[in-house]
Amino acid sequence: MKTLIQGLVAVALVNGGAAFAQDATRGEKLFNECAACHSPDRAAKDTVGPSLHGVVGRKAGEGTEFRYSPAMKRSGITWSSDTLNSFISDPQKLVPGNRMPYSGLPEAKDRADLIAYLQATMK
Amino acid sequence: MATRLKEVDAVIVGLGWTGGIMAAELTKAGMKVVALERGADRGTTDDYTVPNIRDELRYVHRHDLMQNTARDTITVRNNPSQEALPMRRLGSFLPGDGVGGSGVHWSGVTWRWTDQEFNVRTMYEERYGKKFIPEDMTIQDWGISYAELEPYYEKFEYTAAVSGKAGNLKGVIQPGGNPFEAPRARDYALPPLKTIHASQMFNDAAIKQGYHPFPIPCANASQAYTNPDGQKFGACQYCGFCQRFGCEANAKGSPHVAVIPVARRSPNFELRTHAWVTRVMKDPSGKRVTGVQYTNLLNGEEYEQPANMVLLTAYAINNVHLMLLSGIGEPYDPVSQKGVIGKNYCYQTGVNANLFFDGKNFNPFMAAGGSRFAMDDFNTNWDFDRGPHGFVGGFTLSAGFNTSLPIGNRPVPSGTPPWGTGWKAALVKNYQQFMNINSSGSVMANRYNCFDLDPTYKNAFGQPLMRMTFDYKANEQKMGTLAAKLVNDLAKSMNPTSFNPARARESWTVVPYQSTHNTGGTIMGVNPKVSAVNKYLQNWDYHNLFVIGANVFPHNNSYNPTGPVGALAYWTADAIINKYQKNPGALVSA
Repeated sequence: MKTLIQGLVAVALVNGGAAFAQDATRGEKLFNECAACHSPDRAAKDTVGPSLHGVVGRKAGEGTEFRYSPAMKRSGITWSSDTLNSFISDPQKLVPGNRMPYSGLPEAKDRADLIAYLQATMK
Repeated sequence: MATRLKEVDAVIVGLGWTGGIMAAELTKAGMKVVALERGADRGTTDDYTVPNIRDELRYVHRHDLMQNTARDTITVRNNPSQEALPMRRLGSFLPGDGVGGSGVHWSGVTWRWTDQEFNVRTMYEERYGKKFIPEDMTIQDWGISYAELEPYYEKFEYTAAVSGKAGNLKGVIQPGGNPFEAPRARDYALPPLKTIHASQMFNDAAIKQGYHPFPIPCANASQAYTNPDGQKFGACQYCGFCQRFGCEANAKGSPHVAVIPVARRSPNFELRTHAWVTRVMKDPSGKRVTGVQYTNLLNGEEYEQPANMVLLTAYAINNVHLMLLSGIGEPYDPVSQKGVIGKNYCYQTGVNANLFFDGKNFNPFMAAGGSRFAMDDFNTNWDFDRGPHGFVGGFTLSAGFNTSLPIGNRPVPSGTPPWGTGWKAALVKNYQQFMNINSSGSVMANRYNCFDLDPTYKNAFGQPLMRMTFDYKANEQKMGTLAAKLVNDLAKSMNPTSFNPARARESWTVVPYQSTHNTGGTIMGVNPKVSAVNKYLQNWDYHNLFVIGANVFPHNNSYNPTGPVGALAYWTADAIINKYQKNPGALVSA
């Protein structure tokens, strides 16, 4: 199931945003889980966590002025829908020792919608 | 010579919960506000993230977020016949320091105090007769009602992201909530936190005994949340480092998350940190205060900040201290019982039992500030007959974990050797297997429990220290005896492998930590002869001076005080904006 949804997200990314508009809207609501620490805005300063504007395609631990953890800097990850999906499902599993105090978003559909929203912030 | 600064509409002394609420509300109403905070500017981004958190040595033992006793402290004695000595190191209670104040390091427990407190003398006299209240018990009605405060309780709960389960919605009892609470118009802002195993066991045992347990209402966001001012909260991660620590997930309802940023976004607001207020300045007319004098702690320079209105919003004890240092009102004398400033200082009491269950794994390191369950059967339950027990007030019983420190928490059964191999073995065995049940009890005002200025000891500014005179009286001892019996009965009913029984406290000492719930000293009321402020927390003598905090409580309840502290701050802000600003003067005629 997980693989299937990741596949769907990947297809959607290739096909463009239109078919995913609904999901990104739901993803924007889900972003409330993140908004105490992260901003989606281009102009936003890093606060408790780094700005997530345009996070898809960025290298982990780079791209903003945020003081990233050594674990995040060393991870060698490039953020794609795939790596984000895996990270958000269990942050300490993918990047052990990272300093984000968040235990993960368990539902695959929620993660897919959230990632669609993050993707949309780049436009 | 102090530098005189430009006058502002209002000066706020201390930027914690009450200062933060006043700053947010008054700047929204267009007033120019300066906040003076004695400590540093702290926030989640720089101070409550790794590697600055989860550090027991720094926060629990070195008191990193607390008042520095080398600069100012209090002297302590149990009764007026003793010589008070300075408290050189914090112990029994922990006043905060810095932006956010004690609201940074609290657990978040948020109760609604009811008419049972606000009408305490009337209700006890009506039910039990005048003679039931001992002569030296100086309790009095507060001059405010639950109905008046209800919308402001709600405002505070929704601002601070309080999670909980309503027990009485508009008079209809709700299953799973506290059936003894006063009716509320709306449920809590968020559903209760997850239930941990120890709380579940207490819940089941209490129900079996016919009691009414419920999850403690707490300003720990059980889900991501946006408050009415647009401030964002993350969901609680049950990290186990709540009390005495800042929250790394922005899940704890703290002033620096909930209200202070609202003020800081306003061009009407200015914050000055490391600003130590030494005195409130008075107009010779005796009707108005004119501002405050403060010292910049970084360079020692003195300033006068003139203001059209002065709001004392420091920690309760410090608010009273500033009133005494400024010569406002008549200082209270416990012998002649004349004067009001310093009167009715109260604390809390309590008992605790540790229970050990072979084979259990409670995982005490995983919990929120509000992971506990409580019951009010002997507290807000007015049907509980105090007559046979002969005391005024009540107590909650509760169990579970809050901040069960991985190093500092060392539970072992009685009879374990105090050190060495035997102690280590018992500790390793029992760390996972223990839980506690405890009781928090009210303290009624007594004529001998009070504050005044110490005749001997001075602080870093050469000003007299505050002197605290306090001890438990027969009322608390009787209550503690009953509470200990009930805790022990409940503990036995849970069939632990062993348990360290609860015992009533006899006398108060300044160590160890008990609770940061100090109340009274500038109490509210309807009569200026026996109270310092009216129902709007406005000083009777100086109409542009408001004193906001638990220092206005005429007695102390078993409940944590922050619920009514927050509600009264909103209530006062409303009165200032909608009544006082339109017609400056006494809001209640004496």
